[in-house]
Amino acid sequence: MLKALINQLADPIISFPIATLAFWWMIKYYRFFGSKKFGMWALIVSIPVVAWFFADPNFYLIIKTPDNVPIGILLILVCFFTWFSLHKAAVNDERIEQGLVPIEALPENREKVWSWPNLVYTELFAIIACTAFLVIWAIIFKAPLEEPANPTWAPNPAKAPWYFLGLQEMLVYFDPWMAGVVLPGLVVAGLIAIPYIDTNPKGNGYFTFMERKWAIISFLYGWLVLWVYLIIVGVFFRGPNWTFYGPFEYWDLHKVVAEYNINLSEFIWIKGLGIGMPKNLILREIFGILLTFAYVGIIPVWVAKATKIGRKFYEDMGSIRYYIFMFLFITMMSLPIKMVLRWLFSLKYIVALPEWELNL
Amino acid sequence: MSENNKEPGMAYSMPKLHKVMAILSFIFFVTTIWVFMDDYMRPWKGYQIEALKIKRRHLETQIKEASKNIDAKKLAELEAKLAKSEEIVASRKEEIHKVEKERSKIVTKIQEQTIINGVLNGQVGAKNFNFETAEAHHDSKKVPKLYKSLSELKAAFVKGKDDLKLYQAQEKEVHARLDALKVEVTSTEKEIKDIKNTLDLLATAKKQTDITPVFALRNLPFIDFMDPTIKIHQIVVNNVTDDRYFRQVPKVDRCITCHTFIDQPGYEKEENPFRTHPRLDEMVGLESKHPMKQIGCTSCHGGEGHRVNDFNSAAHMPDSEKQEKDWIAKYNWHEPHKVPQPMLPKSQTEASCLKCHQGVELIPGASALNDGRMGIEKYGCNACHKIEGWEHKRKTGPSLEKIAGKVSKEWFKSWVWEPKAFNKHTKMPAFFRQSNNSKPEFVRLNLAEVNAIAEYVWDKSKPYTPNEKYGGGNAEVGKELIGSIGCMGCHGVDGLEDNSKKVKAYAGPWLSGLGSKVSPDWIKSWIKKPWHYQEDTIMPSLRLTDGEANDITAYLMTLKNKQFEELKFAPFDLAARDELLADYLSAFDTMANSKAKVAKMTDREKTLDLGKRSIGKYGCYSCHNIEGFDGYAPIGPELTKEGSKPITQFGFGIQHDVPHTRDGWITAHLQNPRRWDIGIDKVFRDLQKMPNFYMSESEAKKITVALLAQVSDPLPLAGVKRLTASESLMADGMKVVNKYGCVGCHQIDGLRGDILGMYMDDINQGPPRLVEQGHRTQTDWLYHFLGDPSTQKIRPWLTVRMPTFNLSTAEKNAIVNGFQQGAKEATFVETAEVVKWAPGEREETLKLFTALNCIQCHTQGFNNETPLAPDLRKAGKRLRPTWIAKWISNPQAIMPGTTMPNFFGDNGKEPIEAGYFGGDAEKQINGLTKYIIELGAK
Repeated sequence: MLKALINQLADPIISFPIATLAFWWMIKYYRFFGSKKFGMWALIVSIPVVAWFFADPNFYLIIKTPDNVPIGILLILVCFFTWFSLHKAAVNDERIEQGLVPIEALPENREKVWSWPNLVYTELFAIIACTAFLVIWAIIFKAPLEEPANPTWAPNPAKAPWYFLGLQEMLVYFDPWMAGVVLPGLVVAGLIAIPYIDTNPKGNGYFTFMERKWAIISFLYGWLVLWVYLIIVGVFFRGPNWTFYGPFEYWDLHKVVAEYNINLSEFIWIKGLGIGMPKNLILREIFGILLTFAYVGIIPVWVAKATKIGRKFYEDMGSIRYYIFMFLFITMMSLPIKMVLRWLFSLKYIVALPEWELNL
Repeated sequence: MSENNKEPGMAYSMPKLHKVMAILSFIFFVTTIWVFMDDYMRPWKGYQIEALKIKRRHLETQIKEASKNIDAKKLAELEAKLAKSEEIVASRKEEIHKVEKERSKIVTKIQEQTIINGVLNGQVGAKNFNFETAEAHHDSKKVPKLYKSLSELKAAFVKGKDDLKLYQAQEKEVHARLDALKVEVTSTEKEIKDIKNTLDLLATAKKQTDITPVFALRNLPFIDFMDPTIKIHQIVVNNVTDDRYFRQVPKVDRCITCHTFIDQPGYEKEENPFRTHPRLDEMVGLESKHPMKQIGCTSCHGGEGHRVNDFNSAAHMPDSEKQEKDWIAKYNWHEPHKVPQPMLPKSQTEASCLKCHQGVELIPGASALNDGRMGIEKYGCNACHKIEGWEHKRKTGPSLEKIAGKVSKEWFKSWVWEPKAFNKHTKMPAFFRQSNNSKPEFVRLNLAEVNAIAEYVWDKSKPYTPNEKYGGGNAEVGKELIGSIGCMGCHGVDGLEDNSKKVKAYAGPWLSGLGSKVSPDWIKSWIKKPWHYQEDTIMPSLRLTDGEANDITAYLMTLKNKQFEELKFAPFDLAARDELLADYLSAFDTMANSKAKVAKMTDREKTLDLGKRSIGKYGCYSCHNIEGFDGYAPIGPELTKEGSKPITQFGFGIQHDVPHTRDGWITAHLQNPRRWDIGIDKVFRDLQKMPNFYMSESEAKKITVALLAQVSDPLPLAGVKRLTASESLMADGMKVVNKYGCVGCHQIDGLRGDILGMYMDDINQGPPRLVEQGHRTQTDWLYHFLGDPSTQKIRPWLTVRMPTFNLSTAEKNAIVNGFQQGAKEATFVETAEVVKWAPGEREETLKLFTALNCIQCHTQGFNNETPLAPDLRKAGKRLRPTWIAKWISNPQAIMPGTTMPNFFGDNGKEPIEAGYFGGDAEKQINGLTKYIIELGAK
């Protein structure tokens, strides 16, 4: 029963809103989530829960796959470091509110030490420990040797390397050139642009949340929900034919999911207006095109004028930097928006111009 | 963090850091050792050490065996003699010393002279070059000078060579003297060595299995890359390749790394992997047709020959549940993952034969594969499923072109509906009443289809009236005749079940219930002249007299199936017919339009249209000739490459108890082809259509092997068995022989001869076995015999008859040619040439002929006794002279169990009577051969 429920909840249609909601809670009550008490309890509760998950043969089958074991370990590390940074930030923010300096700024923490042996020697430790760990890993988990590659017979599911599975998951919702070229390109460009957009000098050398609220929220949302969460889905929940399988579900090759997606233009011209699709391509897609322009053109202007935070950003950054920031941000947000539209309306593309290989 | 321990400028205390460093260093050290051990400890090394022990054990027993054979007394004598000889030689010590000194002087001279000659040789060459260059440039100044010194050098060189020869001769002479002085010792030593030679060799071999420090050093971790004794052994097979998709790679088989003695006789009783190959004469052995170095292992067995990590990596496959359990316990066996071609279980290994041996009907020695191929032929899988190399096979079922003149329409419908209800032995499969079409709504449509099929077949059927009238006969006599004249070579018969089971004939139908099926006139007409009813039938005439035909008809008419006779087939449901037709038409139109189209057709049109469509749907035309289906492709998917079809392309439906393997699917499919529809919701037209043959599991498994053999492995031409011109002529002949079911009665070179199963008590009462028939009979005789066997009754004591087949000239030629090429014989032989008597030879032969009492059995032409052996007077025209000689010399070797005695001993070379031809066996055989040919010439 419970397993069936979890299987259902894990479906991105439900788990994505849950992940977004959980993220929002985590940010809102970061002092609670960042407390040592919460960390302890989370650890205590999660151990039996994970054990219970492992007891399931289907879950175990997926998790113990040699390729997936390191991903599991990385996820534990992500959880820990997220909690760790929240914890540090919570402690510092409380001190700052009380008028104290952050822990990192205490005199004993500002003391300078020799780089040898304090840094170099410990780096050597890390090198040795890592090497030993990797060697032992390689001995215990043999690299799996598969059958000779057959160009006419692709494996099913055909999965990208785990770190690209977020991108592969995006392919479900976007045209390949969007999901494979434009969006990843913007991720890289955006990451490069961060120091030029975010010139807030606070938070240098110490953990804090309150002093860099928006930067942390937008980064962590993109990182945890739009990247790590999608990797989890891609690694553990996408089986043959890229169909969704719950964590306790057997990967049955023959599972069929009912899916029929419709373009925005079809929605409007055929279902809404009932007059059929116009021949002219531009006319056919005019609503989607207008909507897209409105999304990238009007929303930033509206935000800058109508919202308090928008006005503040606009004032702090100036028009060009403000627009670049907003463009990157709303492009990032286009992913969850498109996902929700897909689930709610089976929307295929907002602009569908396969004739020009241009689908949005 | 205790501040006290820290020095200024330090975050950590130094001793603590050193401790961490120590621990990490230790871990790293252990890890490094672990890496080497993990790399060094391989399961196959264990097997090789075990093999070394086994080899040692074998050598020890061999040494024991060898020492037993040595005459200890003689050895002791020789040793005493050696001691004495040594004394004698020791007494000549001084002399020996002197000669040795002399010899060493000469040897020094030889060595010195060799150097001198070498130097001179070089000088001559160099000078010669200078001289020739000067000549070429017409350097008149230098030429005479150079010529002079060249001549001097050449002379010196000639002298040097001469000197060397002289010293060598001297050395030889001194050496001989030395030998003579030591002769007593050397000759005794040689005698001892002759006795102990085997033992010494074995001891040397044993010494090589000693675990010495050198052995340990060579196999030490890390330095064992240089020259290890324990190492991976491999065979690279260039003529058989592995398909790596982007290119074909020669096979690399490392199986012999663990299967150490696979090619060495003597290890038959060891446990695997140390056992010798069980069929060393045929496979693997150096002198077999498939030597290991050329064929490798996985060419036949499949599996991952290059992988020696552990037992599982080679993709071993167990042959039985018991073996599987054993392997799990012993080797932690699991099903191979990600392996395109796991090893074939032992019972399926013969599936590999076909990829190299194509174009022949049966492969000698591959009994499991042959059984499977005979199964395919029996059930006619190839009729519906194209299989390359089977195109020449005829349609499996009888022609329906004159069916209206043979059976009643009512019988036909009930038969098609459920053939086994009429004849439980029939090969006709069941299309209806199956697991996927037994719902009432499907049965209703099926009944309409059968009604329509019958109407169509009857509409196309040509009229036929039997050309014989049954005049009443004795059923008992008829039964006797059926059992004895050879019908059983092709047919199983009700009432003769025992013998039918012994023969397992399948060329013709099992005769059952004929009295409820056809008229006596039809039977009589059919058995007297089968091609009157069907021109292309393979059923032969047994040249029955009218009385015999009547008797047989009488018996066959007693075979009745009362229950079946009373069946009334369901009336034609016209509504169901119209529904089905509309469904067909709706493939390209709306249902309403289709129904309208159907409504416009006449009643007859509708019936015939559905009949034709139904025949097309079920593929009846694949096995039966039916008018209107010329040029239709076989209905089933091609099976030529079935054995290479990826497992993902097999539909297992929701049948979870069927093993998810290729062979598992095929076996399950053959036993019940409709099983994949179970539990699946399908509309009528989408139901699986392959009929059910009700095969037993063992039959299905045999056919599975034959289908697994149909692989698409692209092999290099050099690796494939290519038929020579004569072999392919022989294969053509065998195709005709198989077509007409000759092999149902005749065993040909050891293969088949099904009916002989009835004659196990006395094989000489059965049809003659054909051994090297092309060598045995003369070409023109065999040709005419095939055309009309009645003119040549060779074995009068046989009740079984050679039938008269409706063979075409081309077919007769193919048979004759095939046999003749198979025996590598010339087309014609001149018999008259052979009979040229030497003076007195004929008289001697006649005496021998009388002495042997040949006429005791070969009575015809000599006395009036009942003949027990062929008529010798006919042999001259029938047999080839070389065959007669071969036969006389050793008949038992050719045909074990024949009544003809081996007069010339087991090897066929011992003279029979010392008194004739001076006891020369060859001359005796020659004489007899000539006489037999002479008898035929008269």
